[in-house]
Amino acid sequence: MAPPQSSAPAIALRGTSYRVPGGPALVDSLSLEIPVGATLVLLGRSGCGKTTTLRLMNRLLEPTAGDLLIEGRPVKEWDLIRLRRRMGYAIQDVGLFPHYTVERNIGLLPAVEGWPAVRIRERVRELLALVGLDDSLVSRFPRELSGGQRQRVGVARALALDPPVLLMDEPFGALDALTRAELQGEFARLQQRLGKTVVLVTHDLREALLLGSQIALLEAGHLAGLYTPEEFQRTSDPPALAYRNAFSAPNRGTAQPLPPPPRRSGDPA
Amino acid sequence: MPGRASSILALALAAAWGASACGGARSRPIVVASKNFTEQAVLGELLAQRIEQATHLPVERRFYLAGTYICHQALLAGRVDLYVEYTGTALTAVLKEPPLSGSARVFERVRGEYARRWDLTVLPSLGFENSFAVVIRGDDARRLNLQTLSQAASHAPEWRLGVGFEFMERPDGYAGLAAAYGLTFREPPRLMDLGLLYRALQTRQVDLAVGNSTDGLISALGLVPLEDDKHYFPPYEAVPIVRTQTLHEFPGLGAALEALAGRISAEDMRRMNYAVDGQHRDAADVASEFLRAHQL
Amino acid sequence: MNLLDYLLAHPREVLTLTLEHISLAGISVGIAILVGLPLGVAIARRPALARMVLGVVNSIYVVPSLALFGFLFAVPWIGERAPRMAIVALSLYALLPILRNVCAGILGVDPAVVDAGRGLGLTDGQILRRVELPLALGVIVAGVRVAVVLAIGIATIAAAIGAGGLGELIFRGLAMVNNSLIFAGALPAALLALVADLSLGWMEGRLRERV
Repeated sequence: MAPPQSSAPAIALRGTSYRVPGGPALVDSLSLEIPVGATLVLLGRSGCGKTTTLRLMNRLLEPTAGDLLIEGRPVKEWDLIRLRRRMGYAIQDVGLFPHYTVERNIGLLPAVEGWPAVRIRERVRELLALVGLDDSLVSRFPRELSGGQRQRVGVARALALDPPVLLMDEPFGALDALTRAELQGEFARLQQRLGKTVVLVTHDLREALLLGSQIALLEAGHLAGLYTPEEFQRTSDPPALAYRNAFSAPNRGTAQPLPPPPRRSGDPA
Repeated sequence: MPGRASSILALALAAAWGASACGGARSRPIVVASKNFTEQAVLGELLAQRIEQATHLPVERRFYLAGTYICHQALLAGRVDLYVEYTGTALTAVLKEPPLSGSARVFERVRGEYARRWDLTVLPSLGFENSFAVVIRGDDARRLNLQTLSQAASHAPEWRLGVGFEFMERPDGYAGLAAAYGLTFREPPRLMDLGLLYRALQTRQVDLAVGNSTDGLISALGLVPLEDDKHYFPPYEAVPIVRTQTLHEFPGLGAALEALAGRISAEDMRRMNYAVDGQHRDAADVASEFLRAHQL
Repeated sequence: MNLLDYLLAHPREVLTLTLEHISLAGISVGIAILVGLPLGVAIARRPALARMVLGVVNSIYVVPSLALFGFLFAVPWIGERAPRMAIVALSLYALLPILRNVCAGILGVDPAVVDAGRGLGLTDGQILRRVELPLALGVIVAGVRVAVVLAIGIATIAAAIGAGGLGELIFRGLAMVNNSLIFAGALPAALLALVADLSLGWMEGRLRERV
């Protein structure tokens, strides 16, 4: 797929908000710029608005205020389908099509784009190798795969059209710790090879530090801070500090709980 | 329960039981049945109301039973006490005997056999005959100049026949009629509930229908009955048929019913049928009106 | 004449009536699918509309089948031909199980799968055709199965208004109090329903296991 033309940031949020009608703002006046080729991690506890922010980027949700620009153009000016196909999408539950084989799962977007069958088959083989899966899996169904295999197929599927941007929502969250560590490592290497712009949602600090070139810490829909991994480790900003503490304390009930998130605008009193 | 109260209760119960045992034979209602078309419901009402007024006995109505055989079975089993049958039907369909000609001969044969085989009493005719009427649409009758079944037979291959379920199966029904007149239709007959036949004829779903000669709607809809010139159908005099046992059980019953003999003409019946089918009046009202008019 | 004798003596008649019966039930279920499939898809995404539509269709069941045939007499064009009335009534009865199951089938698709499809850039039409309908097919066939058995059963009553079918033998048998005739109509009808139920059940099983 063609790389982005201008030198504008891949994705830019300017005062972007998302409010459910009659409810609180899940994303509150967020401003953020993601340069081309960066891996931005949206980090935060459950309910902080990180998934909502991600879903605003491919218009699965529409912003209720502010601007959201993709490759310099407002998100509303893009043709919806073209926009989404320029962004790979991988989610925690993976959502592989259960009635399709691995090959058809990965090859669905190319097929819909009208690629010739030969080219699709080649691309599928290429992607399987890329995500570290054996060719023999092409004719398997998702129910016959392990969790880790499914997640890899999900990533392969997201990369099928070679999109410049990759949106990932806790992609490794549903896996056991060992598989998760393995996939995180592989993904880090993959990222170096492909150089795509990645937006990764996670609550796991270690994952953020490993994979991110930038970390956006979210709290109650606000941006609490934007850091590089090194900056995040060293900063004394209270939210980041609290997050580090929560992750470094041993998991035996003596861990310090994170302080409760500050009130969002619009929350009932 | 204290001694005195319980003995009073026992006494009361015994008295009640004793009373009911004494009046036992009289306290059950007389059950009048009818088949499943308008005329039968009107006749059933006439009989039921006549019995009620003349004998002051309780009467229960079981109308719209699904046909001749159901009525006959119910009569034999004692579930009903009487209904109005037609002599030709009784002869060929119930007794399953070959057809005879002559109203009187048919009546005598039926009366004798019903008494002998089943202990059923056949009362004298109510005064009219209701035969099968093979009808066609008025405009067809005029256009093709048809008056008799023999004339119509030549057109049968272009037509569709409509009949009720019973006519299809009866010995004096479809098979016999087709054989007698050499009728061959382009398709098997269309079967439906009797009440729907004339409508089917009007809307051209069928071209020939076998209804009843005393139906009020025949002339009202401009339909033309074709003459049974070969006299295929036996006479069908309307006669009440009663369980002989019931007549013994209720002494006044026989006299009350016989007062109706010969009192209903074919024209009377047609008018009453039309009042229900064409004017949508209630069968019970139509019957009571007739009884009052004839001082019954 | 017992049942077997009757069937052997009148094979063509029983066959004709059976074919008539299959045609009445088959056309009605076909219409119910043609209407129910798009309607079910349309209301699956709108719960308020779904409740209303399902409520209306459900109320048809309150009307006894013979009475429904009676109501249809008054309708122009439809009321003029017995087979038309029968097919309209049977289609209405067959509609509910199909509509309900199309709805349930689509709503039962794993939301993560639909979300992934949408996020990847499939159009709504592509999601419906390539994801939702294939995954809902097992449940939809279950609904068709109920509709078919229902239609075969109620079609026996259609003979009362002159629409033909195996009900004719049943009504003739009732008029004559002739059990052989009644069975000659009831047995093939029951067999038809059984065969339909088993084959659609097999199909349903196969569809469900591949998901």
